[in-house]
Amino acid sequence: MKFNKDRNWLAKRAEQEDRHFISVGGLISRIDPEWQADVSSMPNVETTKTAFVRLLQLARRERRLSLEQLAQRADVDLGELVKIESDESFKPTPRTIHQLAEFLKLPAKKLMALAGLLKIKDFGLQQASVRFAARSEPVEDVSPEEHAAFEEYVKFLNEQ
Amino acid sequence: MREKIQIIDTQTGESVEAEIFDEVALAHFIETQAEWRPVVLAAARALSQQPNQGFLIPRHFHWDWTRKEAELKLLAVKFYGLAYEGKLQGIMKVETVAHSCRLPEQQGKPMVYIDYIESAPWNIKKLMAALGQPQRFRAVGTRLFEAAVLQSQEEGFRGRLGLHSLPGSEGFYINECGMTPVGRDPHKQNLLWCEFTPEQAERYLAGE
Amino acid sequence: MNPKRTMTLNLTDQEMSVLDQLSVQKDLSKTALIRQALRLYQLVDARITRGEKLFFEDQDKQKAELMVL
Repeated sequence: MKFNKDRNWLAKRAEQEDRHFISVGGLISRIDPEWQADVSSMPNVETTKTAFVRLLQLARRERRLSLEQLAQRADVDLGELVKIESDESFKPTPRTIHQLAEFLKLPAKKLMALAGLLKIKDFGLQQASVRFAARSEPVEDVSPEEHAAFEEYVKFLNEQ
Repeated sequence: MREKIQIIDTQTGESVEAEIFDEVALAHFIETQAEWRPVVLAAARALSQQPNQGFLIPRHFHWDWTRKEAELKLLAVKFYGLAYEGKLQGIMKVETVAHSCRLPEQQGKPMVYIDYIESAPWNIKKLMAALGQPQRFRAVGTRLFEAAVLQSQEEGFRGRLGLHSLPGSEGFYINECGMTPVGRDPHKQNLLWCEFTPEQAERYLAGE
Repeated sequence: MNPKRTMTLNLTDQEMSVLDQLSVQKDLSKTALIRQALRLYQLVDARITRGEKLFFEDQDKQKAELMVL
């Protein structure tokens, strides 16, 4: 790529950039109170959300179900399921989480905490979620390692 | 791709060598999440408390980057990072098939679409001013934007470029970069759709 | 740009004429056009594999699902 090497050009462009914000793409209407509550724990909260989505994806793929089939069997709204898996800012309804917990035979409260509906106070759960999120891939077929990570995580969720 | 470029160090006022690259990995996303977000949030809070600021919060301020990981494998999506001495100073995401030109004279032609562009908070003058701290580097956003225009030329899109500008950034893209404001997009929070024609892109790169 | 490899592409007359026509319409070289097609195919395929569906909406807001192989 032929980037401009002229110092005057760079100085002029820097001057222009400093006068503005350069944001594109989309807006959120306000700072989420939960997000604002504790900045230092934010990466962890985000990771538990990742863990939640990957748990859901793996559980679905382990059972060889499409999103549509899962929606049908767990009796939840298909649109909501799609959003859970694809929209980073989406917050599922408690009913959906409850139905999913029932279908997947997982404790509903923990699933709600993972989905961001309840505040996580359990450090062990956070740690296990970070480990699980780091060991699972979102797209590929379920590998033996992923299967083991999934089993271990499900066991942990059911244990406590 | 990995190239040396110049940005400006505000401590000396001199230009320094940095790197721009497209081998962006999950680790970079985690770096923005862990190191940028707390500073951005503190500055956003300070700004939103100032009267008459009308400060609107960009969506990516709380993007969960770990969810963007899957996109790293897509040919239609490209990420650029800008680093100084190994530390990330800016990041950008562009797309090449999801959007096409809307200006009548180039309608339907392919373009590079900037989905996301962000400098590290310490490189954004207005954010640092809100925190009462000095800005670190200048022209980081400029270099990323330049990379998007250059990509458009290299792809054979002749510099055609598009983006949805946030309200506080419209002045930058229209007046400073010289993009054409095409219209508000009802499908995208009524944000302003801005576009470069090949001639405008050429003028931007040449500095006119 | 990243390094590239060259290949020969065998197309029928009809396919070649579509490629020519689209190249003119989109103001793209044939290589750039095929590259775009590949990107689009991968993008659509990734989303469908994820369980999403592809719809087209006509002027009367009628939606039709598109089958992708």
